[in-house]
Amino acid sequence: MSEQLSADIVVIGSGIVGSLAARRLALQGASVLILEAGPRLDRDRVVAAFRNSPIKGNWMAPYPPSPWAPHPIYVPKDNGYLKQAGPYPYPAEYIRAVGGTTWHWAAQAWRLVPNDVRIKSLYGVGVDWPLTYEELDPWYQEAEELIGVAGAPDTGSPRTQPFPMEPVAEPWSMRRFRERLAPTYAVVANTVARNSRSYGGRPACVGNNSCQPICPVNAQYTGETAIAAAEAAGARLIANAVVYRIEHDAKGRIAAVHYFDPDKGTHRVTGKTFILAANGIESPKLLLLSASDKYPNGLANSSDMVGRHLMDHPSTSLTFYADEELWLGRGPQSPSSINTLRDGAFRSQHAPYRLDFTNISQVLSVTQDLIKEGVYGAEFDKQLRWRAARQVNVKNVLEVLPDPDNRITLSSEKDAMGIPKPEAHYSIGDYTRRAADVSKADFARIAELMGGTGLRYSADGNFANNQHITGTMSMGNDPKSSVVDGFGRTHDHENLFICSTGVMPTAATMNSTLTGIALALRTAEHILPKPAGVHAAISNAEREASLS
Amino acid sequence: MNELEDMVPSHDAPVDPSRRRLLAGLLTAYTASLIPWALAQPAPHADRGAFTALSAILVGRQVLDATQTSRLYDALVADDAHFPADAQALLTLINQRQIAPQQLQNVLDTEHSPLAPLPRKIVGAWYLGVVGSDEAARCIDYETALNAVVVADVLKPPTYAYGTYGSWTNKPI
Repeated sequence: MSEQLSADIVVIGSGIVGSLAARRLALQGASVLILEAGPRLDRDRVVAAFRNSPIKGNWMAPYPPSPWAPHPIYVPKDNGYLKQAGPYPYPAEYIRAVGGTTWHWAAQAWRLVPNDVRIKSLYGVGVDWPLTYEELDPWYQEAEELIGVAGAPDTGSPRTQPFPMEPVAEPWSMRRFRERLAPTYAVVANTVARNSRSYGGRPACVGNNSCQPICPVNAQYTGETAIAAAEAAGARLIANAVVYRIEHDAKGRIAAVHYFDPDKGTHRVTGKTFILAANGIESPKLLLLSASDKYPNGLANSSDMVGRHLMDHPSTSLTFYADEELWLGRGPQSPSSINTLRDGAFRSQHAPYRLDFTNISQVLSVTQDLIKEGVYGAEFDKQLRWRAARQVNVKNVLEVLPDPDNRITLSSEKDAMGIPKPEAHYSIGDYTRRAADVSKADFARIAELMGGTGLRYSADGNFANNQHITGTMSMGNDPKSSVVDGFGRTHDHENLFICSTGVMPTAATMNSTLTGIALALRTAEHILPKPAGVHAAISNAEREASLS
Repeated sequence: MNELEDMVPSHDAPVDPSRRRLLAGLLTAYTASLIPWALAQPAPHADRGAFTALSAILVGRQVLDATQTSRLYDALVADDAHFPADAQALLTLINQRQIAPQQLQNVLDTEHSPLAPLPRKIVGAWYLGVVGSDEAARCIDYETALNAVVVADVLKPPTYAYGTYGSWTNKPI
């Protein structure tokens, strides 16, 4: 006889966004139950798996999927989990495990720029958000204090309170970019959830240069820390609980969710309020899977918008040799970028973008290149050192516009548990492609200023994906064109909320996680407000108590 | 062969002279000029000897760690049972035609040699620490893979701490 599971708040998904919403609600006194499809992971084992991996350039390698909760794997071969309907491939990567995908993020924790939420009004493209940047500001602040964000003031995102931490110390390579690109381009420190001092019981960065796929010392905030904080606050986590159906009652309220354990035993969990926080692909999949006679198109889908408006950040790039030794690989992987192209009147014509410099060690890629070229003998060492010292890369992070034809649907194929796999329908529009063309001039100018030689542009029309899954459950004021309202409540079900980067109506030009967290904290406050007089931001004492 | 044996440095660690001759016997004057140290190296058998000599030529080393050599050899043989014979054949080819390391791949590719994949296998094993391809790929070395060793004065292998906070702000060298 299985245990009767019930809670005030049932959260589906234990990633950084869902966990921090769960934590906040648990601190408010609610009983919170978190259901996670994947298993618990151990940081040390992930580090060992990376070191033992024969494909170190593939950051999913240390995170093999569990049979009951598969996630997409493409190397060494496609495991066929995320089906591709085309016309352009969308090889999204994410991790179904306790803590979710931020196990291997680069910890870039950007705010939007204010005009990002008004691009329809200002530039005639995309849609406006149902809230303003000013409304988001305190929730960004709370998120930044929770996860420990280090940043510089001059990135285009205004703030009313200071960052919790000073920017992370600038690697030599990025200093040289900053010095040599000035005044043409302003290179600034990235806004990151990486400690520049001890914070939240975690140490300062010591430059392991493996932020992706794993920070061995926990200087970078991840979903592992978030779920630990939720559990410390009183939330209960059940791992390996693969939710396959959300059940509603006659009035359309959510009554329960059903999950499989790894042996395919079924369990039913009741609750008062439900939060779907299973990322921008698995969440719409679950809503579509939960179709019923009353809701034949799936839950929360009277608008037919569930799964639509799939967005991410495509990137093109330039790799070249600088004319001085920079030795990427010292310090964290993603330290600096150019933020001056994230907004402007040009947005009526083409996408805005960030320009991002990698500080990932070039040793692996240079070695692979030399082997491919058939360089042998003493020349190998000589070339390896020369190239590893000088090879650099700049990429753009391009906005894509919401397009209803870009979407996640249910595949006719099923996974090992008999659950339909997600299927991606994706294309990259002219708005984004025009920006890629424009940015090539920036690439060329940057290379020129760095004395670049051996310029290698990514192939025309070939875009790398950045795993910033957005849009598939967009928020908006109109129930006919959006899935949730401005507080994350589904238009169709009073007690079903969505906490996910998937609620973002546009993708802007920044990694989406911080915005996802800020929106989720705002949703949590909406579900269960803090008592009057308690400031929205987390106090230091509360933070230290919950995170230590 | 006597001429080659005469090139063996006399100050090397004592090894069984019969085994020493085994590795030396695999070389010609040309290859011995590339890796003179190898003449003094013991090899348990001719196949391992050929791998040692080929490795030294391809990675341009005068010293190769014996344990690492052994582990890589065992992994390469486990990956491909023909590896020992192919390695012997490639060494013979280099011996006979005096092919410089920098010309080797071009020669093999131009002649559509069945040995063409072999240098990349060996160099990949040493520099990446990886043997085998696709799903059969195995990581044999990481911290001691030559691509880590070559830059060890400047970089740590990813996942190893570079140093105290901020130590990366200085000019590298």
